[in-house]
Amino acid sequence: MSNKTVIISCAGMGTRLGAGKPKALIDIDGKPLIIRTLEMLNDVDDIRVVVGYQAERVIEVVKNYRRDVVFVYNHGYQQNGTGASVSLAKKYSRKYILTIDGDILIHPDDMKEILLSETEFVGVCKPSTDDPVLVGIKDNKVTNFYQENGPYEWTGVTMLESRKLTPTDGHVLHLVEQVLPLGYKIIREREIDTPNDYKNAIIWVENGYKD
Amino acid sequence: MNTVFLFDLDSTVTKQEILPTIAEEIGKKDEMRELTEKTMMGDLPFQESFRSRVELLNQIPVAKVAELVSEISVNDAIVKFLNENKENSFIVTSNLDVWIEKLMNRIGMKGRYYCSHAKVVDDKIVGIKEILAKDSVQDMLTSKAKIVAIGDGSNDYDMLRKADVSVSFGGVREIAPALLDISDYSVYDENKLYELLTAIRNEEDADE
Repeated sequence: MSNKTVIISCAGMGTRLGAGKPKALIDIDGKPLIIRTLEMLNDVDDIRVVVGYQAERVIEVVKNYRRDVVFVYNHGYQQNGTGASVSLAKKYSRKYILTIDGDILIHPDDMKEILLSETEFVGVCKPSTDDPVLVGIKDNKVTNFYQENGPYEWTGVTMLESRKLTPTDGHVLHLVEQVLPLGYKIIREREIDTPNDYKNAIIWVENGYKD
Repeated sequence: MNTVFLFDLDSTVTKQEILPTIAEEIGKKDEMRELTEKTMMGDLPFQESFRSRVELLNQIPVAKVAELVSEISVNDAIVKFLNENKENSFIVTSNLDVWIEKLMNRIGMKGRYYCSHAKVVDDKIVGIKEILAKDSVQDMLTSKAKIVAIGDGSNDYDMLRKADVSVSFGGVREIAPALLDISDYSVYDENKLYELLTAIRNEEDADE
């Protein structure tokens, strides 16, 4: 048994994309987004998927892929944020939680790196989205978020020691902020917030994850 | 003791549904299936359905039913949890005392269950004294323990809703849709259920 619980947050409605279904279920080159992520997690023995909006549909797709996922309900998904989802899922979990926003697609090679990590980290990338949360860095550590002209963007991926965190109803950043400064990892990924992001993610996969 | 675990019996602890399995033995499978499905989906009031299902089987000697029930296959990981946490685990079932006693003994839960009670004359069921309201068990427990409830059917709804932590288990059959609205967790693999419940126990006991 490893000391890691992977948490994938899929409770939100994804209103900006307006797909009419949870973003975890949107089709990326022939497969639902969450299946692409789960395929990279085949060797992980403890996965939690947080569900809210159309929970039943997400559960159906995930459990047909693997049955040993624990589903955690965020019944308040219409009011609260990803921080609430992670706060719920971290209860009774293993020592470390690796949290992944359900609307991102990570490069498979980078996922392998991430899974090898034995310490806490913040996942960052080169600024690419329209409205990035930039990170401040000092002495090779992330010290704060919402840094003007920060060199990197927050990704929605982070590994944290579960017990140190005080639950929040807000953004997952409110959890990470509690334990800064932390080391960081540069991750290649695509976040899918808008129809344009969606199109770009599909092209990325079709091109074999080449930028 | 910081945490109490309340387990539904039928298709949560057991791997087969108890009454349909017995009905099959006496060629009343279809009638039983229909009643059971309607009940699980919440289309037939539980008490009415339970009485009808007992009637289907009440001509079979009680001893024979008890024997069949005791041979029902169970989820080993869940029984392991029960035996490791005997002091703070209970089975909560609307099934009848006279039918399940032998099974309870077999899985090490003698005296560790709440159930419905039958009137028996000459080894035949002649009536039901009381159908257990599953959510009443929480009120009977006087300790201030945190309550964790595990179930899969419509008749587990109130028990799960009133629990501090509610887990719906879909390892044997589909979880009743109503439970998805009130569950904290849904689990489909018995080993994962074992791991989750053990983690809950360890963390709650550590906080004591």
